[in-house]
Amino acid sequence: MSMSRKCSFFLIVLVFIFPAELSAQSIHIPPHEKVVFKNGLTVLLLEKHGVPIVNFAALVKTGAAADPPGEEGLASITAQLLRKGTQKRTAQQFAADADFTGGSVEAGAGADFSTVSGEFLNKDLTRGLDLFSDALMHPVFPQPEVDKLLAQSLDGVRAAKDEPRAVLGTYYDAYLFNGNGYGRPSDGDEISLTRIHRDAIVKFYESYYVPGNIILAVAGDFQSAETKKKLEDVFGQWPSKPITAVKIPVIPPVKGRKLLLVDKPDATQTYFALGNVATAAGDPDRVAIRVVNTVFGGSFTSLLNEALRVESGLTYGVQSAFDPRKAPGPFGIYSFTKNESTVPAIDMALQVLQKLHKQGITAEQLASAKSYIKGQFPPSIETSRQLAQIIAVHEFYGLDDSEINDLEARLDAVTPAIAMQVIQKHFPADNLVFTLIGKSSEIAPAVQKFAEKRDARVISEPGFWPPPAQK
Amino acid sequence: MKKNWLRIATLAMVCVACLCCVGTPAFAQQFPVTERTLKNGMKVLVQSDHSIPNVALYIFYRIGSRNERPGTTGLSHFFEHMMFNGAKKYGPGELDKVMEANGGSNNAYTSQNVTVYQDWFPRSAMPLIFDIEADRIQNLNFDPQKIDSERKVVASERRSSVDNDNGGLLDEQLWATAFIAHPYQWPVIGWMSDIEHWTIDDLKHHFAMGYSPSNATMVVVGDVTPEEIFQLCEKTIEPIPPHAPPPPVTTVEPPQLGERRLVVHKPAELPLLMIGYHVPQTNHPDFYATNILRTILFQGESSRMYQRLVDKDQIALDVSSSVEPAFDPTIAIIVAQPKQAVDPEKCEKAIYEELERVKLSTITDQELEKAKNIRLMEFYQQVRTINGRANTIGTYEVFTGDYKKLFDAAKNYAAVTKEDVQRVAKAYFGANNRTVASLLPANDEKAKP
Repeated sequence: MSMSRKCSFFLIVLVFIFPAELSAQSIHIPPHEKVVFKNGLTVLLLEKHGVPIVNFAALVKTGAAADPPGEEGLASITAQLLRKGTQKRTAQQFAADADFTGGSVEAGAGADFSTVSGEFLNKDLTRGLDLFSDALMHPVFPQPEVDKLLAQSLDGVRAAKDEPRAVLGTYYDAYLFNGNGYGRPSDGDEISLTRIHRDAIVKFYESYYVPGNIILAVAGDFQSAETKKKLEDVFGQWPSKPITAVKIPVIPPVKGRKLLLVDKPDATQTYFALGNVATAAGDPDRVAIRVVNTVFGGSFTSLLNEALRVESGLTYGVQSAFDPRKAPGPFGIYSFTKNESTVPAIDMALQVLQKLHKQGITAEQLASAKSYIKGQFPPSIETSRQLAQIIAVHEFYGLDDSEINDLEARLDAVTPAIAMQVIQKHFPADNLVFTLIGKSSEIAPAVQKFAEKRDARVISEPGFWPPPAQK
Repeated sequence: MKKNWLRIATLAMVCVACLCCVGTPAFAQQFPVTERTLKNGMKVLVQSDHSIPNVALYIFYRIGSRNERPGTTGLSHFFEHMMFNGAKKYGPGELDKVMEANGGSNNAYTSQNVTVYQDWFPRSAMPLIFDIEADRIQNLNFDPQKIDSERKVVASERRSSVDNDNGGLLDEQLWATAFIAHPYQWPVIGWMSDIEHWTIDDLKHHFAMGYSPSNATMVVVGDVTPEEIFQLCEKTIEPIPPHAPPPPVTTVEPPQLGERRLVVHKPAELPLLMIGYHVPQTNHPDFYATNILRTILFQGESSRMYQRLVDKDQIALDVSSSVEPAFDPTIAIIVAQPKQAVDPEKCEKAIYEELERVKLSTITDQELEKAKNIRLMEFYQQVRTINGRANTIGTYEVFTGDYKKLFDAAKNYAAVTKEDVQRVAKAYFGANNRTVASLLPANDEKAKP
């Protein structure tokens, strides 16, 4: 096992950032074309030559937020079953055909949307399109495959609980949103997964996997005219259907302070998250938020990392992140530290947050963050895989190419005064939700001071938050 | 757990290049690499790619945990952290600050074999990056205060990647048992008691031993020309004098004469199983056939092991295999995640049966072709970014002695026959050659010492 200097979440920043570049040669997203088929399917085509790969990315505009209460995980299970048996292929045949090309078809669901993606060599474009469309349009959800996947997913939740960092975000979101809206686990939990039946899966598929509810992005080494015709031949036949609208509840930020302590009796390190409900995708302040967050906890030289890692050695890594979605999503500070330094580490994170509110950020920090974002941006639109995802996600959230093409100018427009406004408006100050996974017997008394309202769970207990009995 | 695109993209970013990624002749994508060896012995490889205005720069030092000794295990990795903590021109904390302010970022990784420094930056930051690299290669400073705080950081890293990670913990135990003589037996991050006891002199000694320019290879890929890189090197890197490379690692792991087994009892929701088989080092001719074998057995949901353990018997959530690039004979590791309450021995039995099947009768033509297609796709996935290409070129150069083998790999895979695959299965994947590590969920009582 090789060890890296930086905690992996700093690398995540590289991928999630959507800005522009430093030199005079400003970055643009390659030209792409949008077509809406008669059945309502939105198709985006982006040619990118050089590497002989073609990427498909279908974004189904419905995700885990549409899971019926008590059946969390349904969107995710439905997506994963797409390639586990179709009208013309068993699960085994599908895997054999896909693997033989060296390519892949993958599917999953997040809170706002579900995704089906395919990656193939361009010489296998026809075969790849056949596999990808087969999964998307003709799944049959064989009962034995349903049973198998549900059983595996159930153990998947348990396996994740063996690794605190894998479930910290799930507990935090659950507690932050009190089990509503984005507080429901998109992969399900030990109870919800036992309640999902094939009928519900079929119904979910039939309601939401309809052409008018799907954005299909194709990017890579192909000729648009020819490929468009192929796509029309395959997807044009897909009958249109009315779309079932899903309302995502808007949950306001939590007032006051509350703290959930999840006991993991063998933990030698406490994993913690703190923050509040923050912004939605497309927030007009989004570029300024990105800049401020880069300074606060989104890079290695951030205020948080400087304090908790570089200066004090309390942790290997700390970050802050906004997760904007259709409705306001979470903001959090995430880190970990040995049991004994739990309170000093959280105290220090709070001090850095207070300081941000009091002092704002300096012109120098602002300039550095802008350069950093610009300089690190180009590799995030380097491959056809990244580009297919980005154009589909932008289309979904109603963002256009100016998101990338104008980003440099938008970054330049952020001043220290604007940064201060953004801090006051979007970064929580006193109202905070804390989630800790750690060894209760060692840390519980000391962490009481962080919140008046306190809750506790044991990690081996089923579910995340609220406890099953209170649902 | 989330199989969202964005998350998958993230994983791809942190993936360390492995040598298992190559193509077949018909599609082998050649990219011209220009090479020069500086007067101080450092080899520099440059590949121009102007598709984005960015550059990936990797420096591979041929020093890792295999060059350590008991008592100071983990020193290579700790040293890697210290390379960011101040030199002469750029003091403590300044390297990161200056780099980010100029649009760049960095990281580094340490393995048993190498320590690798990575910079990703816009073209405009190029002179600065060379200035920083030259400064820390020749004038690294050891600030006692920084050593203390960085020691705590590494301890936290160990708590995360080993103590609070069942996979990391079992992996560590597996290597410690599979090797009794060779330095691959200790963890890259080091034993906790060694982390607590390194001294400033240990660090200085490590620097003097491993960080001669002649012990390093630089790879630069991106929006650059070879000429401008060589010019920068002449100014900044070439004047740094070379010295003797680290003493060779002479210890040879004796052949394993029988199965070794170990058990870890730990509070856990699920058990875990790892099996290690001794296999040759990366530059051995059997490297390619072994990779084809592992692809057929483990890669994709149509692979034999997935079909057997996950799909048919339904005793595991996942089964996979890995081999890291290595200078010395190493181990191929099989990891199975049994389902809850499934005895890992059940998974073991199924794995052994599938291995026996490959030994008894050859794989099919279809399987062989599939494995080669998968390798081809992986090759493109590996080299489609400037970052992936820098890592791949460097990894080939360092572990096979010549980056051009990257382009021969296609031919080498094409040459693998069904009989080769059967032969390596018999040669390396036998009972006497394996170490079996199981993690068994224990209640609180059992987990106590």
